[in-house]
Amino acid sequence: MSAGMSAAAGAAPGAAPGTATGTATGSGRVGDSPRRVGGHDRVTGLQRYVADLHLPDELHARLVTVPVARARIVTIDASAAERVPGFRFVMTAADLPQPMPRFGPQFRDRPVIAVGETKYHGDPVAAVAADTRDAAEEAAGLVRVDYEELPAAFTVAAALDPAAPLVQDPSLRPNDPLVGTNVLREHRVGWGDVEAAVADLVVEQRYTFPMVTHFAIEPHAYIVAPDGDGIAVWSSIQHPNWLQKVLAELLRLPLSKVRVHSPDPGGGFGGKQHTKYEPLVAFMALRAGRPVRLVLTLEETFQAVRRAAAEVRVRTGFQSDGTLAFQDIEANYLIGAYADIADRVVGKGSYPGCGPYRVPAARILARSVLSHTVPSTAFRGFGNPQVNWAVESNLDEGARALGIDRLELRLRNLARPGEAFIPFDTPCDGQWEQSVRRAAELIGWGRPLPAGHGLGIAVGIKSGPTTGLSYATVRLLVDGSVIVFAGTSDMGQGARTVFAQIAADELGAPLDAVTVVMGDTAIVPYDQQTSASRSTVLMGNAVLAACREIQGKLRAMAARLHGLDEATVMVDRGVVRLPERELTILEVLVPGLGRLGGELIGNGEMRKDAEPDHPLGGSAAFFEFNCTAVEAAVDEETGDVTLVHYATVSDVGKAINPLQVRMQDEGAAIQGLGHTLMEHYIFDESGRIRNLGAIDYRIPTSLDLPLEIVSEHVENEDGPGPYGSKGMSEGALLCVASAVGAAVRDATGVAIRDLPLTPERVWRALQERP
Amino acid sequence: MHAFSYERPATLARAVALLEAHGPEARVLAGGTDLIIRLRDGSLAPTVVVDLKRIAELEPGIREADGRLVIGATTVMTDIAADARIRRRFEALAEAAAVVGSVQIRNRATLGGNICNASPAADTAPALLVHGAVVVIAGPSGSRRIPIDGWFVRSGVTTLGRGELVTAIELPLPAAPMGSVHLRRTRRRGHDLASVTLCCGVDASGVTRLAYGSVGPRPVLAVDATGVLADRDAAPDARTGLLERMLAEATPSARSMRASPDYRLAMLRVLARRGVDIATARLAAAEGRR
Ligand SMILES: Cc1cc2nc3c(=O)[nH]c(=O)nc-3n(C[C@H](O)[C@H](O)[C@H](O)COP(=O)(O)OP(=O)(O)OC[C@H]3O[C@@H](n4cnc5c(N)ncnc54)[C@H](O)[C@@H]3O)c2cc1C
Repeated sequence: MSAGMSAAAGAAPGAAPGTATGTATGSGRVGDSPRRVGGHDRVTGLQRYVADLHLPDELHARLVTVPVARARIVTIDASAAERVPGFRFVMTAADLPQPMPRFGPQFRDRPVIAVGETKYHGDPVAAVAADTRDAAEEAAGLVRVDYEELPAAFTVAAALDPAAPLVQDPSLRPNDPLVGTNVLREHRVGWGDVEAAVADLVVEQRYTFPMVTHFAIEPHAYIVAPDGDGIAVWSSIQHPNWLQKVLAELLRLPLSKVRVHSPDPGGGFGGKQHTKYEPLVAFMALRAGRPVRLVLTLEETFQAVRRAAAEVRVRTGFQSDGTLAFQDIEANYLIGAYADIADRVVGKGSYPGCGPYRVPAARILARSVLSHTVPSTAFRGFGNPQVNWAVESNLDEGARALGIDRLELRLRNLARPGEAFIPFDTPCDGQWEQSVRRAAELIGWGRPLPAGHGLGIAVGIKSGPTTGLSYATVRLLVDGSVIVFAGTSDMGQGARTVFAQIAADELGAPLDAVTVVMGDTAIVPYDQQTSASRSTVLMGNAVLAACREIQGKLRAMAARLHGLDEATVMVDRGVVRLPERELTILEVLVPGLGRLGGELIGNGEMRKDAEPDHPLGGSAAFFEFNCTAVEAAVDEETGDVTLVHYATVSDVGKAINPLQVRMQDEGAAIQGLGHTLMEHYIFDESGRIRNLGAIDYRIPTSLDLPLEIVSEHVENEDGPGPYGSKGMSEGALLCVASAVGAAVRDATGVAIRDLPLTPERVWRALQERP
Repeated sequence: MHAFSYERPATLARAVALLEAHGPEARVLAGGTDLIIRLRDGSLAPTVVVDLKRIAELEPGIREADGRLVIGATTVMTDIAADARIRRRFEALAEAAAVVGSVQIRNRATLGGNICNASPAADTAPALLVHGAVVVIAGPSGSRRIPIDGWFVRSGVTTLGRGELVTAIELPLPAAPMGSVHLRRTRRRGHDLASVTLCCGVDASGVTRLAYGSVGPRPVLAVDATGVLADRDAAPDARTGLLERMLAEATPSARSMRASPDYRLAMLRVLARRGVDIATARLAAAEGRR
């Protein structure tokens, strides 16, 4: 542990260790918390999101849907819509190339628009284009769709019933052994021999996790314009390069003719990773020969993105001293009607399901179960919170049955640095015990509590990216200012600030002389994606490499200018060191560039190649590790849960910007309180979402937060990113439910195994308490 | 949103004439926090919208007159919650106004709109019932007043007739102190529509008035004039039995997704017990101040 870096160790006087102060501070070097780059515009409304952009001559699109999940589309009659002033055209499956173009990041199963039948409530059967948004809305409401409702499956049980209607057309995966079922794929991982494992105590329980949506505040929005012999696209998307590829393939265009602009999204959380309605809008724009825009309503967003629900059965074997003997996990994730990236979520999210523990024998079986519901997709935590809820809760059951302290049980089994806790993967890459002990300390583990109060503690772990490819270009201009080109999407996580800090620090520029250019595939080099908490590590390393290339050029320059051997010159964090003295970067750059001026250009590449034999296609670049501890008070008469204290501690390697780290951890915690306490989709018998929109789908507000949240982080500079950083920002969401559930259990004596822990659910459980 | 014509009359007479002429095709617009939503989602599609905000006689405001507090129909929740007279004399109403929606909503939402919208969950309804409010109505045949317990019919329906609108809500100023409280159940602490509302008022003579909403098609008022409910020394069984009878009109719908009927009924009882305790304690404090 480096001096003063760990939240668990003592540190600098004055400030709490590893805790950022509430305000932006410092000059902007690495480790400071300068004001967020772009933050001012974001909070004052100056930032222009996709929905704020308008192109001359644009048309407005609106989707037409039917009020049931699965229906045969009999006829679509737009004659009444055509009479709306400003109506231009209606687009249906019949107006698109035949056979219907399909796309999807894992399976090409998603049609541009529903063909023949709808598969979930919100699956568009047509789209109207009109001169104004109001006209488009009016006309869309007048498109008459005759449909015949068809049998459908909305739950795991219904979808797995052998008599269940098939969600996916079997011709989409002809040679697949599971083709006659609604199981898209099964994922099996394991080690040791679970059957042979001997345990003193076996605890087996079933847990459920609800279907929830991302609820990004910025609406999903798309604009496509014909652009010479190609197209220009604006989308609030996390993976602009992936979108570029999908559209190029669908439209048979060279990549260079598909220009994707991705203005900084206003929240993504995974929901904006993959292509959704861009192909539809592109076909409409090409048909119109004019730009077409589609801005989803909040209700439509519920019908576009969500997290997979899950039913998880866990059988845990314990020795009487609390050591784990085995874990046997079966997780059925309820994914939607089209695969999107959901099956990857299932595979990757269930994979570290045993947690950060030494488990001699493990068997994990996870199924992606198709259903007639909104396609589920990536969502902060990527399939991990579902299994975490089950496994961490089950550990509590075991600890209670054995009479062992729940914290103690975790510490006893926690993997130590370097330990291959998943035998074929990256070994434990952090001093995880520090986070656990610190969280316990912050919550006052073991102290006496008032009646009706309880404590919970849980840990979460997530595999970082398994592959990656990021390029960055950095230009050091003649006046010492810097432009960084990085294809990450800054959706609020603060990537711009982190890259600017790295470049400022490495090239000796003040932070406000650094510009970070993102969000235009015609200008910015390729980046695989903004997901899996990767950007600080992967793109950060690419930016660092680009800066280092420039530093190399500066060394050569300095050697030339001063008649030195290059080997005696060093460039280090913004300073050029000659054997006898130090120069600033500008003192070398200006004379070095000479009379014509110019600039130095550096390119950086960060690649993490696939490992074909690995169960996930690659080992983890790092692990996100978090420990959350909670004190809850339960009102036994009403079932109300009050979170009195909340502590979250993440192992981040190095906080390049401590305040942003804290904001990410607190944001993740609060977002996690949604599925923990109140969020869930409610369906009717036809698979229609009943609580569509903000009135009856509740997310936490400021009044629903814990009375106190403390977030700290552990820094041992042991990550693969710049300066020893690790990815973070999902970690603090992983075990929110587990920690809160444990605290409620501790307060009431009742274990509730279904989320969310609404007052009514808690009350009911208390009524049924023996 | 369907197209409609927008009228902004300057006088009450003109507004009444418009409402009378268009009947059910017309809709009054006050703060719009209910109406605009329903226009947007298409569940209402009037051909005429009559905005009340420029009518001289309907200026928002709260004034005292003849032993009554007169609250203009267009007075917003923020102002009601902040009014010193209401906070002192009709504490439950101030509390109810203070929990409607969010700050932004309360800056727009009017008291008239809340009772005319007639949601069973309307937060101010129980307090108005407990405090014996009177609704002042203007219409084609002039002005009339009706007690609030004859106002609510069922969700979205009141006894307001064709061409009529609400101009004010009056609260008789109580002669003796009263303790009152507004309580509600929501799915979260942040702004939410109530799944149970309850107001309890106890006066110095021991009369307890309980009003509750969101557990049936309209808010209900029940009065205990025996003094037993407010009497801490009364036999617990007697108090419980009385409470049961007072809450008997609750018939929550099974179709709601906000809470199940049995939970609503259980919470109604919890709120009622707590409401009686708080109102009694407030009464004692108020009497102590005198
Ligand atoms: C986000 C949100 C949260 C909310 N939370 C709550 C809550 O917690 N509790 C609660 O009780 N309500 C809540 N509401 C509902 C709403 O804000 C209230 O009912 C409000 O008091 C309505 O007043 P308004 O002036 O906005 O009415 P409007 O929307 O203008 O009108 C409502 C209805 O009453 C009619 N009307 C209005 N004024 C008159 C009049 N003077 N005479 C005759 N008819 C009239 C209109 O025609 C319309 O049908 C919420 C609404 C929103 C959007």
